[in-house]
Amino acid sequence: MTSLQEYFQTDWAAMTSNDWVGLIMTVVVFFLMIAIYVYALHPSNREKLEAQRFIPLDEDRLDTEGRK
Amino acid sequence: METTEKYHFDVVRWFSVAAVIYLVVGTLVGVIIASQLAWPVLNFDIPYLTFGRLRPLHTNAVIFAFGGCVLMATAFYSVQRTCGVKLWSNKLAWFTFWGWNLIIVSAVITLPLGLTSGKEYAELEWPIDIAIAVVWIAYTVNFVMTIANRKSSHIYVSNWFFLGMMIMITYLHVVNSLAIPVGMFKSYSIFSGVQDAMIQWWWGHNAVGFYLTAGFLGIMYYFVPKQANRPMFSYRLSVIHFWALTFGYVWLGAHHLQYTALPDWTGSLGAAISIAMIIPSWGGAINGMMTLSGAWDKLRTDYVLRFLIASLAFYAMSTFEGPIMSIKTVNALSHYTDWTVGHVHSGALGWVGMVAAGALYHMVMKLWNTEMYSNKLINTHFWLATIGTVIYIIALWISGIMQGLMWRDYDAFGTLTYTFAESVAAMHPYYVMRVVGGFLYMLGGVVMLYNVVMTIRQASTNPSTSAEPARA
Repeated sequence: MTSLQEYFQTDWAAMTSNDWVGLIMTVVVFFLMIAIYVYALHPSNREKLEAQRFIPLDEDRLDTEGRK
Repeated sequence: METTEKYHFDVVRWFSVAAVIYLVVGTLVGVIIASQLAWPVLNFDIPYLTFGRLRPLHTNAVIFAFGGCVLMATAFYSVQRTCGVKLWSNKLAWFTFWGWNLIIVSAVITLPLGLTSGKEYAELEWPIDIAIAVVWIAYTVNFVMTIANRKSSHIYVSNWFFLGMMIMITYLHVVNSLAIPVGMFKSYSIFSGVQDAMIQWWWGHNAVGFYLTAGFLGIMYYFVPKQANRPMFSYRLSVIHFWALTFGYVWLGAHHLQYTALPDWTGSLGAAISIAMIIPSWGGAINGMMTLSGAWDKLRTDYVLRFLIASLAFYAMSTFEGPIMSIKTVNALSHYTDWTVGHVHSGALGWVGMVAAGALYHMVMKLWNTEMYSNKLINTHFWLATIGTVIYIIALWISGIMQGLMWRDYDAFGTLTYTFAESVAAMHPYYVMRVVGGFLYMLGGVVMLYNVVMTIRQASTNPSTSAEPARA
């Protein structure tokens, strides 16, 4: 066994239910994060997402319109 | 003032003024305890004024009094404006204001009396911990319900950052504060040994990660585009920044416990994720700075924008320095030294303090519908804060690295070259430098307080100057 294998060696039989809950949640959240990256960076979503950049600037226009 | 009729801004005004007052008070206590380290005679042998009791008062004042009031002011301000609706409950917002300030008063009384749970950045005893949870949840519920009532279909990214902070701090504060009371002002943590240490630093680092980073990034994503009057550089980058930060930060606490009884792999994992966190952190910093792309000239004349952009430079610096310090070989030198204190202050003074100052100046002008009393004083504050921060962190870089080197230096016989007392004596010039840096930073806060007070007086005594919302 290389030192790297030894470092990452896991005693699966010793895993408690707490360990399993933590592991499963972490892996699920990790893949959800990957899914969000894919969604955010997909070219077809670019226009839709980048349109939200203007929200803080648009609210000033709403205030001005409200004053008229 | 149409905008004030459209939204609940009175509570935001009170939070804003309280934040500026707490900036001065918190940094004043910081200067006092820095002076006590340089000149121990200043402890005066009075237990209530000793470093050990005033240090938690300083951290609570700057983090929870100043930082908390800034976060509550900016979150309540920006959520109304980005959602186009009033706060869900004005009464709950006032409950949050008075509740939070009552907690601050409780801290001012109990900490100098030596009533403490002994947990870093969570020193307050159990009755106050319960009050914090109640007030924080009131703040969160009001924010969430305001978002739920929004007119816009999309929830702007600054609100995501604020919301992430609120949820995580609720979770972190409640778990870290779990304790068994043995009296009105004494309790013991339900965790013990290495688990207690791990929970402590899971809280400790995430107080930095969510309270002092995610919350203040919410401020950055709203106030930088507003002050620059330009849309942020990339919305998609902000989405990735948010989720990467939220996923990554919760892992980092273990890097505070390298070379301890904690299993070795946890520290290594914490360090590995810390290194990975440079990517989203720098992505966010670049996103904020590049908002000015094509309009960098604004920095020459807009001193408020200077605060906001300089804060991002400090954010980038400290989020690079932190991961480097978490690597075990670097940590072997840096841990337990003043380098850590310097690192914390490059984030606290440079990032948190300066982005908060920029946001507060912006809000004061909008909330009182006027220009600032003196633009020159904003510039004076900017340079006092910048020079003060730089002096502070350089002093502690030198003293920290010197400490680390002195502590592990040994001679040919394997005997330590220096005694601990010798290393303390060697720190003196740098502790004096730190006092100078901290004093300059505090002076900047005093200048800000004067400028804000005069602006409010100007707005109330001469309404004609407040005909148009300030754009500066």
